[in-house]
Order: sequence, then structure tokens, then C-alpha cells
Amino acid sequence: MRALTLTVAVALLGTQQAAAQRPDSLRADSIARARADSIRIVRELEAMSPRQAQLPRNPRLLPDISAVGDLIGDLSPKGSTQEDGSRFGVRELELALQAAVDPYFRGDLFLGFSDAEGVHIEQAFLTATALPWRLEARLGRFLAPFGKQNTTHRHDLHTVEHSYVVQRFLGEEGLKGTGAYLARVFSPLGFYQELILTAVDRIGEAPEDLTAEEPANEKLSGLGYSARLRNYWDLTEAANLELSASAMTGVREQPLTQGVDLGDQPVNAALARQTTIGLDATFRWRPLEQGLYRSFILQGEFMRQLNRDPESIPPPLGLVDYAGPRRDFSGAYLFARYQISRRTFIGGRYDWVQDPEADGVSLTAGSGILTFYPSEFSKLIASVERRSLKGFGGTTRLLLQATFAIGPHKPHPF
Amino acid sequence: MSRKLLLTLSLAAAALAFRPVEAQLRVVTSTPDLADIARQVGGTRVVVRSIGQGYQDPHFIEAKPSFVLDLAKADVWAFVGLDLEIGWMPLLLDGARNPKIRPGGAGYVDVSKAIPVIDVPTGNVDRSMGDVHALGNPHYWLDPANGRRIAWLFRDKFTQLDPAGASTYTANAKGFEARLGAAEQAWAADLAKIKGKPVVAWHTSWRYFAEYTGMNIVGFMEPKPGVPPSPSHLAGLIQTVKRTGAKVIVMEPFYDRKTADFVASKTGTKVLVLPPSVGGRKGLDDYVSLMKYDITQLAAAVQ
Repeated sequence: MRALTLTVAVALLGTQQAAAQRPDSLRADSIARARADSIRIVRELEAMSPRQAQLPRNPRLLPDISAVGDLIGDLSPKGSTQEDGSRFGVRELELALQAAVDPYFRGDLFLGFSDAEGVHIEQAFLTATALPWRLEARLGRFLAPFGKQNTTHRHDLHTVEHSYVVQRFLGEEGLKGTGAYLARVFSPLGFYQELILTAVDRIGEAPEDLTAEEPANEKLSGLGYSARLRNYWDLTEAANLELSASAMTGVREQPLTQGVDLGDQPVNAALARQTTIGLDATFRWRPLEQGLYRSFILQGEFMRQLNRDPESIPPPLGLVDYAGPRRDFSGAYLFARYQISRRTFIGGRYDWVQDPEADGVSLTAGSGILTFYPSEFSKLIASVERRSLKGFGGTTRLLLQATFAIGPHKPHPF
Repeated sequence: MSRKLLLTLSLAAAALAFRPVEAQLRVVTSTPDLADIARQVGGTRVVVRSIGQGYQDPHFIEAKPSFVLDLAKADVWAFVGLDLEIGWMPLLLDGARNPKIRPGGAGYVDVSKAIPVIDVPTGNVDRSMGDVHALGNPHYWLDPANGRRIAWLFRDKFTQLDPAGASTYTANAKGFEARLGAAEQAWAADLAKIKGKPVVAWHTSWRYFAEYTGMNIVGFMEPKPGVPPSPSHLAGLIQTVKRTGAKVIVMEPFYDRKTADFVASKTGTKVLVLPPSVGGRKGLDDYVSLMKYDITQLAAAVQ
């Protein structure tokens, strides 16, 4: 076989040399034939000696390993506004390990390292990849599919920090849950829809300083449950719109006016149901031909947190009263960003939230954001923000952020 | 009520009766070039949709949820490979939840497996080299020899998934080869004009085209793959153009022409915007038309 191939190849070369001395039309015809023949020769050669490209890319079946660094600078004029008071800090280092587990599952592990929290599990979930009916199921810890911004890693946001409504209602770093996730894509009305349901161990992290008479998840009704319905339309080739709604409910520990010793355990919290509903809208514009240089995004979210009084308060009633939230809170943000060159974007965000941490006093903030991407793998942000808590004056913040990613190329978030 | 029910059942039965007997293969491709060749090989036995458009940078396609719906129903997902689609393909395949087109599925077709790839980096590769493709240059469709390889790959894949159409697929692939061969004869004189002529290209996407046409790429507008031109790089490039006598800057429609115009104004070169893909310019609706347009335009420009 090898001899045959070599003979054919030599003959082909000879034919090409001879063709060089012929008229152009005959030569062109010969070139066309030679090219057609060359395909077969390549195939024979491939069969004889495997090419480098045919060798496995990852013979030891190692997972994809990547890391993201998130560096923060706070040059606010009246001192750092960071929780730890630092002017410069490594906000978080995220290490990701991702691979197919077997023909049925994929595994994704995200470990977070930070000065404030040490080492912690950001996300760790198993995704079933072979389910019928366009279903996707996950087990483990994942970003809670509530609202738009919360499903984005903080270092991938278009802003330095989450919006204030997300920070106050879901957590400074957003909300994660540990449990089960089930999603289905469908399009009965001719456009993309996705319904995501989750059941998680609890809504939010367990507070270290609050202890209730019984664990929040003692009953199944005490678990956290959420639902999100995404609706997406292509308005034109360049513009699209997503309108989605989310809801979640769960039981959380809320403080009492004073601690109670119930014999074997001190209790200083009662369990109260908290339900949050949200609406979000995202409009994107990016012309296909000049999409490297121009794009625009307009995004807004509204959330309402509904707080119920606890069903029971530990005795002795009268001495101890409920000190948790007794009212509902609302909040929203509106964000816009325009791309002015291939690597530069300008944007702004307006925030308003009835701050649960300040008994519902309105917190407002307006910020301007300048973003520069040296490449797909690094990002520099400068942000100026004016934040005001009604009746308590305002604060000006100047924040800088640098993020970088190393390791395999990750998909661009949409 | 019963008459309404009877009418409904009759209409449903009629609709079922008029469904085509042969179910068509649903093929989704990442680029319009693959889509056109798939159509030519598959004929009426396939329905083809491309995610990318010919006037769009294939590296930076957005993973829109609407694409997920196409992929969810696909029998075949054919893509260029060599990490060209790495920035968006995983999101779409995850979203589609279609085991047929996931890695390992019968419909998952990495077209690069059929291609003799060039520009495979040797030694250590890292991102200081720019947005380098560690597995080699993915812009291989701009060489007709690779166009043929793609056609035969589709013939094999479609035959595997739809054995009843084997003879049709083979006949169509041969027909595609014949049309391409005839076109190559027609543009052979233009190739002779291009051969050896120095040109500047924006991105490495023209390397296979250069291998085929014989044009001599003396410099790139990008200092490194995917990195926008810097002033110092352009200064060096201007010297290169003057030294080599390059007459043309070849660029894709999705790059910023102003930078190329600047170099042209300093060197007296022409800026030639060539579509790198089917549909990249109005009227270039098939692979042969695309190759013919690019070759004839370049031949005229380098004179």
C-alpha cells in the first residue's frame, strides 16, 4: 500500500512538472485533476501514519483547569469603603476544574480564595447531559437562578460590584444554593423560553450569630424553592430582548430582641418566611458586521422582598419579641453600557433600594463606569459612584478593578 | 360538538397524510461556508441553518438563546473546529441539551478532522502570542482542496445518518467537485497573476487562501493574532510594505477600515475588502461564487 501511494505521488509530481510546459488551459485542467487526486492520497497517508492531530489532546483525561483573579482598588476620597478597610486587595481568586465525568454527567468545581473568607466552595455541581425532553438537571451548589445579574459570576459583571438590590436582597456576592436544579427549554409560542426550578437546602447562607429553636430546614417547607421563567426574542438580526420573571421562597433565621435559654441551647432567632419576586429585562444591540467595535446593552431589574412574621416565638412571650423585618422592601437598578471602540466601553448604573439593613430607608446610587479590555482575558474598570442613604447624607466612591483569566478559553457570557 | 370533533380529526389526519415520507436531516453549521457545502451535498434530503453570517467575525458570535432552539432539534452540528468557536459553542451545546450533537454523539462533526491543518504552533504556546489557535489555523475553507474535503466528509456523515440517501449524497458531492473544478479552470489565469505578489493581510485568516493562490503575505495588520494594530507595529508595517512593494492590503469586512486606510495613505497601497465567507457580500451565496469573487478581485488589485 505504501509503495502504491509513493508511486502515485511520484507520478503526480511528474505530471505537474510536465504540465508546466503545456498551454494554460491544459495546465489548469491538470491542476484540477491533481488536486482531486491529492485528496485520496491524503486519506491513504492518514491511514498509514496517524497525524499529530489524530492523537488525543488530553491522554490523561485531566479536567480543564483555569483561574480568575479579581483585584480591587478603592481610592474613595473619605477613606476605603471596602468591608476590610483596605485600599488595595485581592477580592477573590477563583479556581475552576471542569470536565465530563462520564457519558451522562459533567462536573464543575469552582473554589474561591479570599482574605475575608479563606477557602470556600463557590460552586460544585454535577450536570446531567443526557436527559430527554430538553431537560437539564444539576445537583450541588450553584448560582441561584434568580434575576439576571445573580446568574453571572461577580468578576464577569459589567460593573465592579453587584447592584445594591442584589447585594441587599441576595447577598454581597450574590446568592448561591445547594440542592437540585431542573430546567427545560421550550418554544410553544415560537420564541425561546426556559423554566428553571430549584429546591435548595436554604435561602442564603446560615447566619453565624443567629440560632433558632429548630433548624430552618427541619421541615420540607423550610427549604428554599425558586422558579424562573426566561423569555427571549430576536428583534432584528442585531437586537434582542429578554424579559424574565423569578420568584423564591424560604425560611430564614431572624433576630429576637433578646436571647432565650431553652435549657440545652441558647436561642436568639425565630424562623420567618421570606419570599422574593423579581422581574428583569435586558436589551442588547450588536451589529453583526461591526460587532467588534459597537454594541449596547440596557438592563434593569426590579425585586420585591416579602417578609412574614414568624409562626412562633420562643417563650417567655412578653419578654422576648421579634426584631426581624416586619415590612416588605423593594429595589431596582437600571444599567446601560455603550461600546465606543474595540476595547473601550462606557456605562452607568442607577440604583434604588429600600434598604433592609436600614429599616427600609431609601438608598440611591448613581455610578459611571469606564471599562477597558486589553484582551478577552483581562479587564480594567474605573468607577465613580455617588451613594446616598436618605436622611444620612452621601458618599463618593472611586473604585478600580482588574480581572484576569488564565487557562483554557471560556465561553463569553451572554 | 361531534361535527366539530369530526372536522378536527379529519384535518389532523389530512395533515399527517401530507407530511413528507422521508424525514430530512436537520443540519446546523457554525459558518455559512459549511452550510453551503452541506446544502450542495445534502440537496433536498437536508435542511441546513448556519449560526454565523458571512459578514460576521466567526470568533465572536454571540451565544443567543434562539440558536439553542435550532441546535435542540438538529441531527448534525458541523463546526470548523480548532477552537474557532470556543468562545460560544459550549454555551449553545449545553443549552441545546441534545445528546445527538454533543461530543461523542453521531451528529457532532468537527470538520477540521478532515483537513491537513497548517500553522500548528510548535514548542510552548501561551497567550503572550496573542489569540493563538494551539491546534492550528482554523480558516481552512478558503482553499478549494479543503472545500472538497468538507464535501466528502459531509457525504460520509450524511450517508451514515441517512443510508437511504447514500447514492444521492455521493452524486451531489461529485457534482460539487465538478463545479468547483470547472471554476478552478476558469480562474487559473487569475491565479497566475496573483502568484508571488506581495500583499498585507489583516489576520491570519488568509493563510490557506495564500497557500492556494500563491499570494505572498509579507505582513499582517495585527501584530499578533487577534491583537489590534498598535502605532509602533503600523510604523514597522509601513516600512515592510515599502521594502517589499506590496500593492494591496487584504481585510475582512468586519474589521475597522480606517486603520488599513491609514497604512494605504502612507504607502500608496490599495485596501481590498474581501469577504472570507459565503454571504459576506451581497450575491455571494455559494462557495464557488465566494472563491471566484475573492480570486478575481485580488488578481485585479495586485496588477
